[in-house]
Amino acid sequence: MPTLALSDLLGLPVYDSAGGKAGRVREVALVPQEDQNHVSAFVVRTLDGDRLLSTSTVKSLNGGIRSTNSPENWAPYGSSEGMLLLERDLLDQQIIDVHGRKVVRVNDVDLLADTGAYGSILLRIGAVDVGARGAVRRLLKNVVPNAALRPLLAKIPPKMIPWEFVNLIETDPARRVRLKISSDRISKLHPADIADIIEELAPAERDAVFQGLDEETAAHALEEIDPKLQISLVSSLDNDRAADIVEEMDPDAAADLLGDLPREQSEQILEEMQPEEREEVEELLEFEEDTAAGRMTTDYMALSPHARVSDAVEMMRNFEGGLESMSTVFLVGDAEKLVGAVPLAKLVLAAPDTRLAELAAEPLISCSPEADEKEVAEIFDKYNLLTLPVVDETGALTGVITADDVISILRSKL
Amino acid sequence: MKKLALWKIRLVMFLAVVGPGFITANVDNDAGGIYTYSFAGARFGYTLLWTVIPMTISLIVIQEIAARMGAVTGKGLSDLIREEYGIRITFLMMAALVVTNFFNVIAEFAGVATSLELFNISKYVSVPIAAAVVWVMIVKGDYKFVEKIFLGASLFYVAYIVAGFLAKPYWPDALMGFVKPPTIAMMKNNDYMYLVVGIIGATIAPWMQFYLQASVVEKGVTAKQYGASRIDVIVGAIFAPIVAGFIIIACSATLHSHGHYNIRDAADAAQALGPLAGQYASILFAAGLFNASLFAASILPLSTSYTVCEGLGFESGLDKKFGEAPVFYWLYTLLIVAGAGVILIPGFPLLKITILSQVLNGILLPFVLVYMLLLVNKAELMGRHVNSRLYNVIAWFTAGAMIVLTVIMLRGF
Repeated sequence: MPTLALSDLLGLPVYDSAGGKAGRVREVALVPQEDQNHVSAFVVRTLDGDRLLSTSTVKSLNGGIRSTNSPENWAPYGSSEGMLLLERDLLDQQIIDVHGRKVVRVNDVDLLADTGAYGSILLRIGAVDVGARGAVRRLLKNVVPNAALRPLLAKIPPKMIPWEFVNLIETDPARRVRLKISSDRISKLHPADIADIIEELAPAERDAVFQGLDEETAAHALEEIDPKLQISLVSSLDNDRAADIVEEMDPDAAADLLGDLPREQSEQILEEMQPEEREEVEELLEFEEDTAAGRMTTDYMALSPHARVSDAVEMMRNFEGGLESMSTVFLVGDAEKLVGAVPLAKLVLAAPDTRLAELAAEPLISCSPEADEKEVAEIFDKYNLLTLPVVDETGALTGVITADDVISILRSKL
Repeated sequence: MKKLALWKIRLVMFLAVVGPGFITANVDNDAGGIYTYSFAGARFGYTLLWTVIPMTISLIVIQEIAARMGAVTGKGLSDLIREEYGIRITFLMMAALVVTNFFNVIAEFAGVATSLELFNISKYVSVPIAAAVVWVMIVKGDYKFVEKIFLGASLFYVAYIVAGFLAKPYWPDALMGFVKPPTIAMMKNNDYMYLVVGIIGATIAPWMQFYLQASVVEKGVTAKQYGASRIDVIVGAIFAPIVAGFIIIACSATLHSHGHYNIRDAADAAQALGPLAGQYASILFAAGLFNASLFAASILPLSTSYTVCEGLGFESGLDKKFGEAPVFYWLYTLLIVAGAGVILIPGFPLLKITILSQVLNGILLPFVLVYMLLLVNKAELMGRHVNSRLYNVIAWFTAGAMIVLTVIMLRGF
């Protein structure tokens, strides 16, 4: 199965059934609605305008494209509506390499030629070339003779991204839908990687990629994005959709975000949110951002000291907060008063019917809502904690700070 | 104690309003600029001042275009050229930029060498140390902090404005210089045309446009907040040519009018500050030049590496490790090492190469301008922020004029 470079295909002469030269290839078109992988037609520049030569009537690619019929039968090329044009939409543009988890620029495209039914040619996109080989090929084409270019190219190690790992970026929402450009591929990445990718893009592309994500993925990615960009991303959404995303976020991250937004907008978003999530976030919004209360989450696990290990496990199964807040089960008595904490490891090692009170770690460490960030970090360091409960003046548990929040605090100070 | 606090507050307030536009304009008055303007003033007196006003208008327009493209598209100039015009054009442009900027880097290290020679520090000591400092400072240090220090120090330029007044030029002649077009005889003088291209290249350097657009993008300025940036850019674009004009006036009044037509070394150039600083003129000149050279020597190679890597699709960024962005770091390192290295060649014509670097800027400028103009007029890219007709006229005129001037200049060689 021979491979062909897109840059070699462009400008190739096209011959009709009689062997006469009909024109040259100007573009290579894909109709993603029909087939995401196969080339559907060539745009051929002929003497009487551009025409669309369907690949089903191409019988050979060697030494030029040979068609089984003549240009009169090729449809005139009108608009590119619904078509992905490889030269225009892919060459030199940025794409997301889902496998390498980064944004890269396309230097060339590798196509694979198969023989289909009735001897026609099937041209499939194999990979996108983002390395020096494609760049050198395009730079030196028609400058250096082919005989000299080929051995030179063979010496350059290829840097290819298989087509199935390519996520195209399309800024126009209507065109995105028409071309079936989805964010399925990028959605499978870790939210932190998605965040990095989004941060690397220019505003229009950034908004386009972000808007393509489902709410949950968008929420997790948003938590990892630089606060300044968070605001610009959320501002590009309508309040309804913004509310759906904020609901999925960790409450303390959501509160930080809403606290940074213009007051009017954050109020509109809060209004659109479900009452339960709204309440949680509103509570957190009251606090200064750089205090313990401003950093804490209200998604934590609390049980009575009389509960058993099996109850804790059951609670974990239904827990909707982040995994990081699952590393400790807090024991609360009357009026939410904090009386103990059980680390996850102890739960795992204990028998299912053990009372949680028996497993509580000593001593019980906590801090006040007003404690500043530095104090919080010091407590984490001193006691080697994964979570730290925040307790108000009555001794009631109001929230939990997790180690990942502390790492963020420390990193912002580096 | 109280005094210091007040001074600090003022500095912080000054730096808070300063943006990419002002910084860019200031970096523009680098070693190449200072020497070219000085040389022009000493050699031809006020007769090159006519370049200043049209140059200011062009600079405002061009910098505004670069900043606007950055704000609207969120992309660097080399990115846009690549996306719209393909890899070949981008490669040629980047190759020309690397060569030109390499000469500019040499000019910056020449500035370091000559400024410290006034203190009897040999270039064999100063240049390698400066190169090492620049490299380490940028790769290991906090660039933003460094930028602010240099920017504060660039107030040294005000010295030229003061010196220009204290030199008591014959003002009617000096002012006439701004509006009097050159005679045909002057146009036929090779040295004169060489300096015309050099002065324009020094003020409207091609690399500044890449740098400014990238700074605007990096600062996260968007089309909505662009209004404030525009003011910053315009103020910067007016400030730079004013300094250029005063350097020409100062050198003209102190050197040219006393029959001292040629600047052979830094001590000659320092004389222009004599009316202000007297026997301390060379210290003031050296301090200003040293600051400008070191600042530009750190920004230029960095900006070049970013521009080239972005345009050609290599990994770039100081947050990446050497192995992750090898081309970026190698290009950066090579520009510094080679740029500083050639200075160490015994008998290297520092001043000649410095002025040549500005002339090369002038030759490359129209090519960069043409692509900027093609891009900024694309509606699918800029939306309603495409260029106005007046802007197009001024910018196309600048590009055309630079080509004509270059051709006239080259015909003499």
